[in-house]
Amino acid sequence: MASIELQGVTKRFGSAVMAVDGLDLTIRSGSFVCLLGPSGCGKTTTLRMIAGLDLPDEGEIRLDGRILYSTASGEYVPTEKRGMGLVFQSYALWPHMTVAGNVSFGLEMQGLDRERRRARVAEVLELLHIGELAARYPAQLSGGQQQRVALARMLAVSPDILLLDEPLSNLDAKLRLEMRAELKRLHKTIGNTIVYVTHDQLEAMTMSTEIAVMHQGRLQQFAPPMTIYREPANLTVAEFVGSPPMNIIRPSGRPGEGLFDQLAELFPAGAGAVRTIGVRPDDLAVVAATGAAASPAAGRRWIRPARVETILPTGSEWIVGLRVEGHGLFARAVEEPACVPGDEVALAAPLERFHLFDADGRRLSPSGAD
Amino acid sequence: MIRAASGAGRLVPRLRMWLCAVRSDPSPIAAALLAAALVWLVLAPIGSMLIDTVRVQVRDSATTGLRTGEWTLSFLQRTFTSRVSGVLFWTPLANTIVVAALVSLIALPLGAGLAWLTVRTDLPGRRILSSVMVVPYMLPSWTFAVAWLTLLKNRRLGGLPSFAESFGFAPPDWLAYGALPIVICEALHLFPFAFLLFGNALRSVDTQLEESARVLGASGGVIARRIILPLLRPALLSAFLLIFSRVLGSFGTPYILGSGVKFMMLPTALYGSFKIGSPGVAAVIATVTIALGISLLALDVFFVREFKRFVTMGGKGSLRRAAPLGGLRAPAMLTAGAACLITTLLPLASLLASTLMHRPGVFRLDNFTLDYWIAAAIPAMPGQRGLFLNADIAASAWNSLRIACAAAVICGLVGLFVGYLVVRLPSTRLGVFLRQVSFLPYLVPSIGFAAACLSFFAVARGPVPSLYGTMTLLVLVMAVKYLPFASRSGISAMMQMGGEPEEAARVCGAGWLRRLARIVVPIQKHALVAGIVLPFISGMKEQSLVIMLATPGTEVLTTQVLRFVDYGYSQLANAVVLAIVGIVFAFTFILEKLTGSNLASGVSGTG
Repeated sequence: MASIELQGVTKRFGSAVMAVDGLDLTIRSGSFVCLLGPSGCGKTTTLRMIAGLDLPDEGEIRLDGRILYSTASGEYVPTEKRGMGLVFQSYALWPHMTVAGNVSFGLEMQGLDRERRRARVAEVLELLHIGELAARYPAQLSGGQQQRVALARMLAVSPDILLLDEPLSNLDAKLRLEMRAELKRLHKTIGNTIVYVTHDQLEAMTMSTEIAVMHQGRLQQFAPPMTIYREPANLTVAEFVGSPPMNIIRPSGRPGEGLFDQLAELFPAGAGAVRTIGVRPDDLAVVAATGAAASPAAGRRWIRPARVETILPTGSEWIVGLRVEGHGLFARAVEEPACVPGDEVALAAPLERFHLFDADGRRLSPSGAD
Repeated sequence: MIRAASGAGRLVPRLRMWLCAVRSDPSPIAAALLAAALVWLVLAPIGSMLIDTVRVQVRDSATTGLRTGEWTLSFLQRTFTSRVSGVLFWTPLANTIVVAALVSLIALPLGAGLAWLTVRTDLPGRRILSSVMVVPYMLPSWTFAVAWLTLLKNRRLGGLPSFAESFGFAPPDWLAYGALPIVICEALHLFPFAFLLFGNALRSVDTQLEESARVLGASGGVIARRIILPLLRPALLSAFLLIFSRVLGSFGTPYILGSGVKFMMLPTALYGSFKIGSPGVAAVIATVTIALGISLLALDVFFVREFKRFVTMGGKGSLRRAAPLGGLRAPAMLTAGAACLITTLLPLASLLASTLMHRPGVFRLDNFTLDYWIAAAIPAMPGQRGLFLNADIAASAWNSLRIACAAAVICGLVGLFVGYLVVRLPSTRLGVFLRQVSFLPYLVPSIGFAAACLSFFAVARGPVPSLYGTMTLLVLVMAVKYLPFASRSGISAMMQMGGEPEEAARVCGAGWLRRLARIVVPIQKHALVAGIVLPFISGMKEQSLVIMLATPGTEVLTTQVLRFVDYGYSQLANAVVLAIVGIVFAFTFILEKLTGSNLASGVSGTG
């Protein structure tokens, strides 16, 4: 069992840069947690603090209730005694050792004898399908192979906790997909706790059991992927997660006019507090123009006339740019839209798919749609 | 790295955490110890020498009538304002400045021109040329001076005739000794410096910058004046300052070519005052030399280097198109080839020829001999044998090897360790201080540094006994003097490696020593070898640094050369010079094979 608790963890670089600010996070044993956020949001620093490579300025870090680091008591278990695994973004393979040498190093540190080391190395290399590379040096490997070796090196010691710092960012798209599947398979097989740093939301969405979205050193939301997607806790999360990004609708500045005010009227319960309204392109449907003007909200559906401005085919889908009440919105279609730029159409969305945010960007309950 | 929580009353947890952290990674402690050792080895000697300028030493008390340990201004007066101050100080200072200026005047255009030819034109054989061009700089600086004597000395110094005399030409004094030959020899030795600096600067200037100007309608002259020269100005200034500081610190050439006609420069004046037993005056001159040297290099480091940064911003993927020389190709190649011949082949060939002749320059069959290499007794030199059988030379060679080897190993290891600590403790005061203090010896001219170390280590201090006349002193001084180059390359090697390979080992459970031994040092194997071999090569040809420290028991090859020159045993002196050159070339070759790199740039730092 291996759960990690971070409590009030703060890390500054110099006096000006607040890398991580009062982070509270509990990572369940056996979960696959992604730390997700734009570069500079403090996710890598958080990972390095869990590993013990960076030391927090404030706060406490515990492993299964045992204190690893605490500024209050002065306790500090150094990295080499934490028994975790950490895969670096650059892989950080040791160039002077063979693949087998790299993988067996940690076992050697644990004091395993030669025979058992050899057996375990073979086993781990087989698990990652790189058995034939044992005698090679890192410089002789491709990026994807290096990646697997870096992973094997850390898996060899069977750590309860495996930390991964953007491990797939240097791979090409095809390999990335393969490795994602591989990592998910490994997590299922081994069942250890994984903390995974990435700025790629697709990676976070596809692999993790929970995502911790970070922004400017603060934790924005910690929840399972679909909750993050469907119920973003605030505007930052809503804008960061989702591709193409969520349509954001703000007041036009002239009361009673514009798309925002029209929409806000549909949510009377939260009307006073709503400052921003969001809707995902996936939830917007382009429909035929007929009858749209008559009913702004037919039943539990919002529907408005719109003009097609642009159509961007991506291969698997079409992104349609539209103008509604002078406001530009993007809709996503999985089938080829039957319109061309300049056409008058209608745009529709279920009311419960709108996201409402208050003045501080916090999510408001969408129940106001009733 | 450790930035414990702020606030009073949390001292105990902070201390506890610091202890935990340091036990797991004692880098801060190691850095503090190393910095302290360097302060003791670099700053303390200079401080001690400063005190010597106003305090009477044992050796001075006899001649001045003052009591040992008494405070006095008499050394300053004697050096700066007394009747003998002209001879002691002002003339050598003026000579040094004039020589340095003239050397720059020759070396800069020569180096710049050749750099342009090899970097920017279609000169045939420019590849070979650019590697041969560096050879003069790899030779010991005073090789040219010894060769000059062999070729052009006259009856004034007596001894064997020179080549010129044997050919029936008696060189006048102004041609044989003093300012002119010193200027020429220093210029020949130092022009590769300008060549390297200009070559690198030129390479960093994108030809697209010139082409942009050409597209806008600028002529060749305008481009050279308005685009190229301003961009190369930092390199020009840098080359000038570095050549100046080299001249200031070089002892051999002015000693060999100047002593006979009493043409003194600061290094020889310093040595002279030291030899005749006035350490007070010597300390004053050394202080001036160090102050001058530090100001010159500080100017270079803090002004020119800053300035240089924007030169390399020329853009990525800089394409270089060679300028066609057209009809000038042949003359240009002849000139460049002749320059190579004069600067490398001629001095070495004349040295070699002289060691094979009884009377230099007499090309008769019975005049040729191998005596100076293999004879059991040389008739003209009582008590001396040929180089390979000569016990004195063997002893010096053994000393040279031992001293250079020990200094180089210390230097390489400490340099790499400094690099490790500086990179591991970035932006902490300790890391910055360590970087600066390890760089400091670079700023101090060799002979001045030797004088300072002599002042500090000549007497027992605490647990450290007097080191004067010991091999240890030579090793220490040499290791410290070369440390800046070793630590600079150590820092860049460590930067290149980054922290992650070591952190990965940490995650795997390896402690600090284990990480150093199993990860850091093996990865830096090549850097370590280079960091040892380069100082070794420099150490084998070092003269300015050791001349004041070597005693009869610790004679090295380079001081042995001067001894032979003083005796008039020119063939033996020349044979020893060739032996040193042979060792230097052999190790340079080995290093190039080992690291697969061109040493042209690597050698540029060390002397």
